[in-house]
Amino acid sequence: MSSPRALKIAPCIRRVPLHTSTLMPDSAPILTKQDVAHCIGRLAENIRESCSGNELALVGIYRRGVPLAERVFALLKPHFQSLLLGRVDITLYRDDLKNLEMMPKLVGSDIPFDLDGKHVILFDEVIYTGRTSRAGLDELLDHGRPKQVQIAALIDRGGRELPLHADFVGETLNVASHQRISVCFEEVDGEDAVYVREGGRR
Amino acid sequence: MSKQKLFKGGDIASEESAKLQRCDVLVEGGRITRVAPNFTAPPDCQVIDCTGKIILPALFDVHVHAREPGQEQKENIRTCSEAAINGGVTGFCMMPNTLPAIDSAGVVKTVLESAAKCRIPIYTSGAITKGREGKELAAIGAMKAAGAVMITDDGFPVSNPVVLRRAMEYARDFGLIVASHCETMELSGKGAMHEGTVSYSLGLEGIPAISEEICLDRDIRLAQYTGAHLHIQHVTTARGMNTIRRFKEEGVNVTCEVAPHHLIFNHEDVGDYDTNYKMNPPLRTKEDNAALLQGLIDGVFDVIATDHAPHTPFEKNNDFASAPFGITGLETALPSLHHYFISEGKLSWDLIVRRYSAEPRRLLGQRAVPVTEGGTAEFIVFNPKTDTVFTRDFIKSKSVNTPFLDQALRGRVDVVVHAGEVLLQR
Amino acid sequence: MTPRKDLLDIQSLTDEELDFILTNAVPFKNLFKRSVKKVPTLRGRTVLTLFYEPSTRTRSSFEVAASRLSADVINFSVNTSSVVKGESVLDTISTLEAMRTDYVVVRHGMSGIPNLIARNTTASVINAGDGFHAHPTQALLDVFTLKEVFGGDLSGLRIAFIGDIQHSRVARSTNLLCRRMGMSTAMLAPGSLIPRDTPAEIAKFTNWEELYAWKPDVIYLLRVQMERQNVPFFPSIGEYHRIYGLTDERLKRVQDSGIYVMHPGPVNRGVELNDSVMTYERCLINQQVENGIAVRMSVLYWLKPGSVEEVGS
Repeated sequence: MSSPRALKIAPCIRRVPLHTSTLMPDSAPILTKQDVAHCIGRLAENIRESCSGNELALVGIYRRGVPLAERVFALLKPHFQSLLLGRVDITLYRDDLKNLEMMPKLVGSDIPFDLDGKHVILFDEVIYTGRTSRAGLDELLDHGRPKQVQIAALIDRGGRELPLHADFVGETLNVASHQRISVCFEEVDGEDAVYVREGGRR
Repeated sequence: MSKQKLFKGGDIASEESAKLQRCDVLVEGGRITRVAPNFTAPPDCQVIDCTGKIILPALFDVHVHAREPGQEQKENIRTCSEAAINGGVTGFCMMPNTLPAIDSAGVVKTVLESAAKCRIPIYTSGAITKGREGKELAAIGAMKAAGAVMITDDGFPVSNPVVLRRAMEYARDFGLIVASHCETMELSGKGAMHEGTVSYSLGLEGIPAISEEICLDRDIRLAQYTGAHLHIQHVTTARGMNTIRRFKEEGVNVTCEVAPHHLIFNHEDVGDYDTNYKMNPPLRTKEDNAALLQGLIDGVFDVIATDHAPHTPFEKNNDFASAPFGITGLETALPSLHHYFISEGKLSWDLIVRRYSAEPRRLLGQRAVPVTEGGTAEFIVFNPKTDTVFTRDFIKSKSVNTPFLDQALRGRVDVVVHAGEVLLQR
Repeated sequence: MTPRKDLLDIQSLTDEELDFILTNAVPFKNLFKRSVKKVPTLRGRTVLTLFYEPSTRTRSSFEVAASRLSADVINFSVNTSSVVKGESVLDTISTLEAMRTDYVVVRHGMSGIPNLIARNTTASVINAGDGFHAHPTQALLDVFTLKEVFGGDLSGLRIAFIGDIQHSRVARSTNLLCRRMGMSTAMLAPGSLIPRDTPAEIAKFTNWEELYAWKPDVIYLLRVQMERQNVPFFPSIGEYHRIYGLTDERLKRVQDSGIYVMHPGPVNRGVELNDSVMTYERCLINQQVENGIAVRMSVLYWLKPGSVEEVGS
């Protein structure tokens, strides 16, 4: 379990009972700290297997795509000669800003390298409607002209509204549309876990 | 002969005593026939219940802009008189800054003809100079003969001291009051409000207090020198008021007035460029508010006068610098004085009677109208417990340029009696 | 934080809002380094610039800011002659309402006009300078520039305003914002150009020697114009320059003390400053211009057109 190399398991589909709707915030996570580590390991492994080039760049979508990209970066670093890391704040590219009561505070994007000709993997913690990925993709393309862009997500929960798919997925969860998947990372939330919660998108 | 009316259970205010007298008042044929505590109504008499209300002599305003002729979109003499009645005022004196100015016997006669059609007596002033231009003397003698009771270029000062000196010397012999709008035009410049912290932070050009005080100083010295009766209009600064106080002590024939808004509001109220707080002279400081109120109590001010100055919403809905000066006041004066001062114990009813009924009448050579047996039935019934909300519907003036628009003030004029007739009853 | 419709002055901004605008301006400025400097944030929105006073700089700064946010920018040229003819500002506003613009950027020679417009339109109104009243985006870009130069915390720094303080909306707004940032402020001008009744904690100087002794970190030069009044506030431009201007001689001392120089532009050479200032390495004038775009993008991003404004009349 400790070595990412040991992970050769294909992503599985985990069905979440519909009545998890009664779950409270402090209820048991659907994925524990260990599960999360396992998923990240799986993601890293899959990326390592399919990407051989030297021009690989991992870009996390702010907010939880950033720690995700950083974790994968740490796992892959030993295997690549040059591996780049960046982050994008997609707020300015969101398509729902008009509906927000208040504009979100900006963090800003940080892509400290030239994107031209790079193989970029865009990280988001959950892929759902595809709108975040769309925004991330648009932003990325405004920074330069990468050779290839792929999408990685810790959780794929289906429900796409745009014709996008994740190339790398840690875990596929099947949840009702009224439920929300909440991914927690130590760096942001103080713990590694994934919860299924009631209400809202995402 | 009209039917007898009994005003029952009210508290009567007089200029002699701060104490109110609970008496019934019987009115018959324009006169007050009986004032006594709790007497039985004669048969076939209309009884008006005044329990818990104040009966006070009807008010009189010496400073009103009726806008006729020439600016009837703002107001006319008729609507102005109805506004006055609505506020408990049964007589007023009009200012001559009309279009054309009231600067000849002809215009005096015209406005007095209009005034004669109203339900209350209305007096007029005439201009000091032709067209209020400050250059040549207007036909002062002819205007006096036509009925003018005062001369003033109100809205403007007479900037040239020689012209004012001649006017004073001339008017003195006709027994006319010379009234002064004190302002040094060069110092006021394009000013739109009091020069001070607020004008600075709003970026508006200011009208400094000295603009008023320097002119006031000059005019009062001219009055001292010529012996004319000078009436200083709308005093706004503590320093100006103290100048008047000093010259009064020296025996100069000077009277003066204060407007309710200069007692209640100050430059901080301009807030977010609210043009209903723009008037000339402007709202000064909080300290001036307090000093003027004390001056009113001390008797420096002979009269309260509103400077009722109607303007259309279109004109007032302009930016602050471009909007015209002036707010209406006839309808709000008494409720506002009650709301801010009487109900707070800062002013007493005898002062209101003296300064807003008796003295203004005497200033124009009329008799006061105390609520006494045998006197003229000229009084109002004021309800101190009910609020007045100054909605467009309530306001009888053509214009609604008052800070009190859609605001509630504690107290309401319930009944207005003029010459024995009930002009208004709520 | 509650949504805001308008930016009319500095006073009404809360600390939280100030922080929001100034912090967000950093990522906006970083966009300028990208090959594509534009973001789609305000796609489909319309920004109208309504300038009753000529100003190439401020107007184009707003235009660049708006286009970098992908808004459509419309230039509403106000023929000053129609204003003279008595077209009421409110008439113009109803025209604007019919155009359904989302943001209106206003500059006007009369104080309070943006407030008047804001009360009468659902669009977001941004004051781009009104009379002597306020120039909030200038103040924000000035403070943003100072934060870049001195790091985030400005408290304890000293800034002196020199020039026509009485008639400067920049002095009003920037001074106010600097004081809110914990800076000490001072004024140096002929007595006739220093406003009465300003707070006692603002130092007032009558000559440069007093100013040097105060040890300012920044001097902020203001435009000085002679033509404003019929009774001039000082005898001549030449005398002003000699006594109050940043002459070459004074620039040397400023340079020796490492004092930064700011100016809202456009400069009057030979009046408040000399040409040599423009090449002084601590002259922040160009940085102010660049930051103006980022700060204005941040303001456009922050405001919410059509939201209910609680500040009534």
